[in-house]
Amino acid sequence: MRREQSWSGVRFLVWTFLRLLIASELTAATTTPLKVTVTVGMVADLVRQVGGDEVVVTALMGPGVDPHMYKATASDLVKLQRAEVIFYSGLHLEGKMQGLFEKMATAGRSVRAATDGVDKARLLKPSAFEGQYDPHVWFDTALWSGCIQTIQTVLTESRPAAAPVFSRQAAVARGRLEELDRWVKIRVDQVDSIRRVLVTSHDAFNYFGRAYGFKVVALQGVSTVTEAGLADVTQLVDFIRTQKVPAIFVESSVPHGTIERISRDAGVRIGGELFSDALGTPGKFHQGFDLGTYEGMVHRNVDLIVEALK
Amino acid sequence: MSFIPHFSAHQIFIAPWTTDFSLYGWMVLMTFLVGAACGLVGNYLILRRMALMGDAISHSVLPGIVVAFLVTGSRGTVPMFAGAVAAAVLTTVLIEVIHRHSRVKQDAAIGIAFSSLFALGVILIAVFADTVDLDQDCVLNGELPLIPLSPPMTLAGMTLGPPAVVRMGCVLFFSCGLIVLFYKELLLSSFDPALASAMGLRSGWIHQSLMIWLSITVVSAFEAVGAILVIAMLILPGATAALISDRLVVRLGWSLVHAALSAVLGLHLSIGLDCSPSGAAVVVGSFLFGVAWIFGPQDGLVSRWWSRKERGPETLV
Repeated sequence: MRREQSWSGVRFLVWTFLRLLIASELTAATTTPLKVTVTVGMVADLVRQVGGDEVVVTALMGPGVDPHMYKATASDLVKLQRAEVIFYSGLHLEGKMQGLFEKMATAGRSVRAATDGVDKARLLKPSAFEGQYDPHVWFDTALWSGCIQTIQTVLTESRPAAAPVFSRQAAVARGRLEELDRWVKIRVDQVDSIRRVLVTSHDAFNYFGRAYGFKVVALQGVSTVTEAGLADVTQLVDFIRTQKVPAIFVESSVPHGTIERISRDAGVRIGGELFSDALGTPGKFHQGFDLGTYEGMVHRNVDLIVEALK
Repeated sequence: MSFIPHFSAHQIFIAPWTTDFSLYGWMVLMTFLVGAACGLVGNYLILRRMALMGDAISHSVLPGIVVAFLVTGSRGTVPMFAGAVAAAVLTTVLIEVIHRHSRVKQDAAIGIAFSSLFALGVILIAVFADTVDLDQDCVLNGELPLIPLSPPMTLAGMTLGPPAVVRMGCVLFFSCGLIVLFYKELLLSSFDPALASAMGLRSGWIHQSLMIWLSITVVSAFEAVGAILVIAMLILPGATAALISDRLVVRLGWSLVHAALSAVLGLHLSIGLDCSPSGAAVVVGSFLFGVAWIFGPQDGLVSRWWSRKERGPETLV
């Protein structure tokens, strides 16, 4: 008799455990803000703009973190599990995490790549391999604004009551990105087209180059495991000398060593540290723009590039 | 901003076993399964002086990944896993060939095999796939904290758990089965290969089977939890157990204890510091090794000091 009781206790425990596991818990009341977890700061910024007071946004990767090298912590697990909506950037920027996100979406969780809504025809396909795109879409501001529609749709699905708010805020966000795009175009016009050469450490600025007419030369490929070959370095030094490139750039989430050496070898100065795969520290300002925001990142990058090259 | 987050005893010690158990339970179980599966094989590797095989394989899978990508054009888990296992098996064969047909010792053979395969992978990327983000961390290695998030696997209507946990459970189950079935053969060929051959055991076959089994274990563990935990758990549980006992069966038991303690204490450490759980489990595992080193019953620093005091200065052999 006692034995049976203890068995039913065990069965109860197992069942509760499994149910906890399956249930996507916390169906929150509509008054509390929607819990949204995102991977990178660039997406977090857009979600904050579209969601406004209706959402609380948590970003997994902080300032200066290279998404290619990111290692999840124990609290990330809780952040992802408790989130009602998850956004990631996509196009394999998050590496193997993307596979998990896709599986979670298939299982019915609200998980979406922000770049889902970006026109595939306008994505760069640097390699011959089918379906492998360049993930650094945010450097083309006009293209990046394609993410807003996706974010708006997903937020509205999760919180239909706030649809008008999301729609209004999405329009405002789109307007701000359009204005930012215009500003970038005016600003880069101060650089002669012949001097528009952007030399950086890894292949992150191809969208920027295409959108604003820069020739982009990167020392490293996309992957971080292959270092720059000696021939690459020599070629780049020759290129900088013959083209009389005025300045080259280091990146915030990539080690500076090799670019510094090239700067010494080629006798060219370093124009500054560009933000590539992560935003800057929130609360630090550049010309009145918070570096922890997408706008701040673009302003700071473009100002550095223009001042160094013009 | 401080590096050590606010200390909350409830959040660190109680919540993981109560409110957050549905999340952290799987994580701690997975850490144990990886520690146990790697620890069991690790005992034999230590006896055969091949403890660094894990490190070697973590590098030498690169060409396998690249070739699998070049053939299939996909960075999906299945082709990456297949490529990695093939490269791992190739590594073990290469090591054995170098070791047998030259005067090079086993450790040097490991060094030669994995570094040349890694270099081959780097060159393949540079030549064929420089514009694709393709490395172990990006396409193969999983992460411990993400495991409980993947949708649970169901079998005949029963909900089992995250697929990675189920797979690792199977690997551990088969490891235990192989050890039980071939205990004597493995024991003899690990301790005294010459005697094993003289007694008619085919040590070559046993060795290569062990290596294939190692490759599968290690690569599936990489795929689930990443390299750092696997490399450490091939060495730490076995090495700790070796300090406690001379008998193989007892060592295997202590490796399991080591794996369990590393998993549980590592969980609390990783929540307390909000750091990578794999890293935390390895730190705890190293700490346990230190404890065994100091307090080990026969060979520990304390007992050695004690016996020296009792018996006077001993002669070194």
